[in-house]
Amino acid sequence: MTKLKKNGEPRRQVREGTFGLYTGFAMFGALVLAGLIVPVISKYDPNQPGLPPMAPPSRDYLFGTDVLGRDVFTRVFDAVFIDLGTALIGVSIPLIVGTIIGTLLGISRNKKINAVVGSLIDGINAFPFLIFVIALIAFIGPGITSIIFALSLVNWARYARIARTRAVVVNHQGYVEAARTLGYSKARILFKHIIPNVSSETRAYALSDFIIVIIAVAALSFLGLGAPPPQAEWGAMIRDGNQIFQIAWWPTIFPGLALCWAGITVAFIAEGLQRRLRETNSK
Amino acid sequence: MSNINESFPLADVAVEEPRDKNRLALRRLLYGRILRSLSVGFWVSVIAFLMIRLSPGDPVQIALGAEATEASVKQMRHELGLDTSIFQQFYNFITGIFQGDLGKSFYSGRTVTDIVGTHLPVTLMVIALSILLGVIMAIPIALAVALSKNQLVTYFFRASTSISLALPGFFLALVGLLYFGIKLNWAPSAGYEGAFPGNLRYLWLPALVNCGSLVPVLSRVLHSSLMDTLDEEFVETGVIRGVSKIRFYWSYLLRPSLAPTVVLLSYMVGVLIGGTVIMETIFSLPGIGRELITAVNTKDYPVVQGVVLIFGIIVVFFSFIGDLLGYLLDRRVTLS
Repeated sequence: MTKLKKNGEPRRQVREGTFGLYTGFAMFGALVLAGLIVPVISKYDPNQPGLPPMAPPSRDYLFGTDVLGRDVFTRVFDAVFIDLGTALIGVSIPLIVGTIIGTLLGISRNKKINAVVGSLIDGINAFPFLIFVIALIAFIGPGITSIIFALSLVNWARYARIARTRAVVVNHQGYVEAARTLGYSKARILFKHIIPNVSSETRAYALSDFIIVIIAVAALSFLGLGAPPPQAEWGAMIRDGNQIFQIAWWPTIFPGLALCWAGITVAFIAEGLQRRLRETNSK
Repeated sequence: MSNINESFPLADVAVEEPRDKNRLALRRLLYGRILRSLSVGFWVSVIAFLMIRLSPGDPVQIALGAEATEASVKQMRHELGLDTSIFQQFYNFITGIFQGDLGKSFYSGRTVTDIVGTHLPVTLMVIALSILLGVIMAIPIALAVALSKNQLVTYFFRASTSISLALPGFFLALVGLLYFGIKLNWAPSAGYEGAFPGNLRYLWLPALVNCGSLVPVLSRVLHSSLMDTLDEEFVETGVIRGVSKIRFYWSYLLRPSLAPTVVLLSYMVGVLIGGTVIMETIFSLPGIGRELITAVNTKDYPVVQGVVLIFGIIVVFFSFIGDLLGYLLDRRVTLS
């Protein structure tokens, strides 16, 4: 079914998912770049009040100013690294911890440990994700570090469940058996042969989890459990802006749009990678 | 299972075989699931019990305030049973759960059971309405996309569902509240009225926002199982036999495809609970989620602990029901 050009040469095939992947990366890159540049070149300090309060968007203040007289444009992009960084760490720690624990469970022959840790994993996964995180933050106190800690404590179990199922399969694959026959050390087999093949699955899940966590971090700040003021953070900005939403829409809408932008770009990347993975698998 | 049938090589038993086999499988499944739910429920209560120990300060000191005397702290520790060993405390906690005693709020003095009893119905109502709206939207969408022969429709479907999943619900809720609540005055922006048909006025918008994350997931799974069903030969038979439209859609297409969606729906209850907690704070609904957030802000530990425990148990219960329903809808489903 290869399509042919008029002169009979095969047309260059565009791989499945390429469009989504490139659009996603470009849009995500633009956001990160703006997060790097805007706070540096901006005339205004993100956290210093003093401008005319609630000024509508204009040439001086592209996104207007908030109720305390801070430039919304500067604040929206100043928040990029807090929001995306928290979410990135909040995904990476559970990804690593969960993959390792899940893999070890999957290849271990100790039935007792498997049963106990297995049902602990089911127990953690039984709690609604957001409720569990909110409750943990209630006990350890609000803040960005608490959010990361709570996310790690809750989310490793989801990765461990995926990794365990996968590790049981990988453990009996020909290449692992071959490595064993060759007499490679256990550590080498684990890190060079088993974990890379298990983590392809957990990493794929991590990408869709990243979207959930970006939104969750902002939602927690929106509930007042995240970064303390005056730190610019999308969720907290939406919360502050909401009090004057009926008079001035810009302090709420712009951070909200930034949050949507971040979510959608990651969704594009995830969708593109998924299609690519499916294409590779079906070959 | 097959051993039992082999040991009775009689003709009349063999006739009964498929039925017996089904019943046996169902019973085994039921016991297995009950056992698993109980073990998960056990861990859920252990986690809820241990959670309070994460707090850096002394919960009793926090409850009584800074100027509490030594004696009153000791008095309260004794009342709460905190002066016993951790195993004794856990035993008391578990027996308390079975007696419906989840402790008392530090501040209002109401029992947690009382708080849950008053506020949980509102939360459950929002969740039920979300599920109802979600199913009403997801079924026609999935059917239309699965039956459409246009590739663009499928593409648009995939793109719009993944975008919808990436949108923050709390932001949509705020915008929706401003637009429908204040500009159009279709939904009251605050307040609540308890009775059933009247409260729908307050609940439809939060439920609709919840659908923003529910419908994409449901319709995607339903779509992919519909595509599998469409490949089956009996669908063609249905077309050739010329069965009526409604019968075709329900018996030939939907019913064989519903099982994975039902199982998924039961798992989505957990996600919906999270979304509903935020909706309740935004729309000021007197649900358990708003109580939870207030308790978190005032460090009312017993309330937080009790609410988390209740939500954990609700999720365990629904995934149990969902798995059973999924099996009853489609006996081919193998349960992990």
